Amino acid sequence: MRAVAKMKILALLTAVAAVAAIAVVGASGASAAAVTVDLCAKAGSVTMPDSTVVDTWSFVPGDCTSGSAGAGGPVLEANVGDVVTINLTSDLPAGHTASFELAGLPVKDNGDGTFQFTAARPGTFAYQSPGDSGRQQAMGLYGALVIRPAGEGAGFAGSSCSSAPGAVYGAGFDRECVMVLSAIDPAFNADPDNFDMNGYLAKYWMINGKSYPDTDSLAGGGDGSRLLIRYVNAGFDNTSMSLLGGDELVIARDAHPLTDTFMAVTETIPAGATEDALFVVPAAAPPSANGFPLFNRNLHVTNGADSPGGMMTFITKP
Amino acid sequence: MTHLLRRLGIPAALAVAALAPMDVASGQAPATPKTGMVCTPQNAGGSTYDLWASGGYMQTPDGNSVYMWSYQDAAGDASFQTPGPVLCVTEGQTVSITLHNALPEASSIVFPGQDTEVAATGGTPGLLTTEAASNGTATYTFVAGKPGTYLYESGSDVSKQIEMGLYGALIVRPSAHQSWAYNSSSTAFDPSREYLLLLAEIDPDLHHAVEVASNPNAPAYDFTAVHNRYFTINGRSFPDTIQDNDSVLLPSQPYGSLVRIQPNTPGNTQPALIRMINAGVDNHPFHPHGNHTREIAQDGRLLVAPGGATASTEHFAETIGAGQTMDYLLRWDTQSTDSSGQPYNDYWDPNSNPLPVAQPNYRNLTFKDAHTWYSGNPYLGYKGTMPSGTSSLNICGEWYFPLHSHALNEFSNFDQGFGGMGTLLRVDPAGGCFAAATATKILSGTLNAGSYANLAIDDGKLYKVNSTTTGATRVADWYGQFGGLPAGATNLAITYKGSNSSSASQTVYLWDWTTSSWTQLSGPTSVGTADVTVTPSVISLPANYIGTGTKHGMVRIRVRNSKASTSFVTRGNLMKIVYDAP
Repeated sequence: MRAVAKMKILALLTAVAAVAAIAVVGASGASAAAVTVDLCAKAGSVTMPDSTVVDTWSFVPGDCTSGSAGAGGPVLEANVGDVVTINLTSDLPAGHTASFELAGLPVKDNGDGTFQFTAARPGTFAYQSPGDSGRQQAMGLYGALVIRPAGEGAGFAGSSCSSAPGAVYGAGFDRECVMVLSAIDPAFNADPDNFDMNGYLAKYWMINGKSYPDTDSLAGGGDGSRLLIRYVNAGFDNTSMSLLGGDELVIARDAHPLTDTFMAVTETIPAGATEDALFVVPAAAPPSANGFPLFNRNLHVTNGADSPGGMMTFITKP
Repeated sequence: MTHLLRRLGIPAALAVAALAPMDVASGQAPATPKTGMVCTPQNAGGSTYDLWASGGYMQTPDGNSVYMWSYQDAAGDASFQTPGPVLCVTEGQTVSITLHNALPEASSIVFPGQDTEVAATGGTPGLLTTEAASNGTATYTFVAGKPGTYLYESGSDVSKQIEMGLYGALIVRPSAHQSWAYNSSSTAFDPSREYLLLLAEIDPDLHHAVEVASNPNAPAYDFTAVHNRYFTINGRSFPDTIQDNDSVLLPSQPYGSLVRIQPNTPGNTQPALIRMINAGVDNHPFHPHGNHTREIAQDGRLLVAPGGATASTEHFAETIGAGQTMDYLLRWDTQSTDSSGQPYNDYWDPNSNPLPVAQPNYRNLTFKDAHTWYSGNPYLGYKGTMPSGTSSLNICGEWYFPLHSHALNEFSNFDQGFGGMGTLLRVDPAGGCFAAATATKILSGTLNAGSYANLAIDDGKLYKVNSTTTGATRVADWYGQFGGLPAGATNLAITYKGSNSSSASQTVYLWDWTTSSWTQLSGPTSVGTADVTVTPSVISLPANYIGTGTKHGMVRIRVRNSKASTSFVTRGNLMKIVYDAP
């Protein structure tokens, strides 16, 4: 029986220099395991493509003795049946305490800085710190949780994409990528305590914490390769993501498989929702030398007033 | 040819001379239908198009004029139109579109949903696709893929160029079934009821920034500050949306979006097809009144369940996301009972299935404005009397329902409602408008019993005329007079049903107001004691038979029965006209 990594904490951001420190919680076989993950919530910053530096709060792996915060936390991975304990250290500015919740699964707050949940069903989930009436999420305290079928190994080795094959709700895939969608209003981030949220107006739009041209492309593989795209909308707008040169089979929403899957070219992911879609790399050449464009069709494809930018990336094939 | 008059920029009457040679060359150009989707003709020789990307102005109902960028199918300011031309192609066709870029910056076209290669020639590589430089060209060639409703739009600096209006509709029809939306018989529709609703929004401040961009003091174009003020369907805001296609009032906005249907009948069971495209940047919760719509496809992909059965869903509100397309079937059933024998909830007839509640007294109601679309009668095809001070725009008891964005800020023109992203669904009575006689006049003979009111319904209640009682030939000759037929009514279908107390020879006529003479429609036919129904074929030149001036809207149908030697009584049971209102 091959060893299966039961739990990894993987840094999404190149800015996070903690890759070497990623905890790999080993377990074997398909049996459920009790695993513990150290997470830290702390202040940091991101540098946008137009060189604007924006203060953020974010989850980083570990106990806050190392690592720096960017926008968005690491991808957490677990297997169905795992009992996961989040050992959360809050290092936010005075007066703010981070917590941990999942959309779609119950989380027990043990009251001692640890949070516990059972990975009850497979799928793509969002985790977040809901404190300060949503202001903590707006500052960047969110991330993606992928719960895999029993026996499927962790795949996101330090990036937002994996080239390891797997299956979701019985649908096989050859590769997978997480797409955490979010936005930043730098005026809010500069003054999260006092900012009037009625005036919230995002200026930067991100995929996995980065805005185009800093976004990572999605390696789709060769013709016919099945790329699973795990959308997590951690932002505040219902977001329509448009594909050029192909389409995607929408197979699950909010970690529930759809009875009637359907093909979409432009799919709207509600704020707070997740969605799993399978893109089969077409044999035809993509419309752009950069690959198959995948971009925010609400046209949040700017960095401030600068165009292009924002929530845009490309699916590449060799 | 579709927009030729607009392209010429001259009134229709003056354009006749200019049109004539082209008509000779190309055959009779079909007139643009007043409602429904209008496909832009392909270039001679096949599925090629030339599109010009350029700037121009659209009008809003509040009197504003907004600078737009758009695609047009001929060069020059007079050809400007928004949105871009509707391109209709057939699955498997090789489609070639040449973009002539008259904008001050590089531009391009992308075709979301086409999953075969879009080969580009000319132009230079851009971020999303090959681009045509300012004053340059690029040609995009692809084999039309899956049937369905698609968007085409700019692939260059999209947060500016799409906001500015560079979008249009691409329709791919199944190769084997032009009147199916998809390769499934479940998507068959009535080709005369095919509609396109392309949604978009406009921020006039951003458009102004582009309009004056060459001015050194021009405001910066910052899309993060977008605040949409106008919300359009097919490039128009309500109430302009219900104007005809190619309305002269809206020279650069050729596409109306009034949806007109008639109840389905045993002879026409097909639904209407409503193709929806959201070319804007906001997700719109679109809300049909009157009846649910059945969503059959998204993004040009049929909704199917595992095993291949339809996975279509009924909606009274459905969000269409930015960049998405959705196709809907819309039915209006008037069979009095469904397959299980239950009356349809929305089928009401004053005689056979009256409403179970009393109608309100209009003196207890307030009509908000001096004009209303309401007929004054709750039954389809019937009109009533409106309170004094309120005039009805209703023609023949047809129904009007709003189709609109239920984000109600979008149902406005710069915050003034109603307006914006709304149009109307018009339900005409089955077969068309119905008219009954409003008076009778006896030309020969005398009144026996009854009045014009007995002619309205096929109910055995009769209008009776005695023939003359002397002479070798006895004649009962009368006409029913109709009022209120609108100028421009077409497809006049006349029905007369009646009998005689003893067999006589019957001829039916129609009064021609232009020649002041009777035109014979049918007969002479022998009509005895049993009712005979006469339905003359549809009248050509209907305008000749609808009065004008002081006789405005009048139509006269004459029934003449004659018989040798013996007096008789002629008995009218039903006299009606069904017609298509303008």
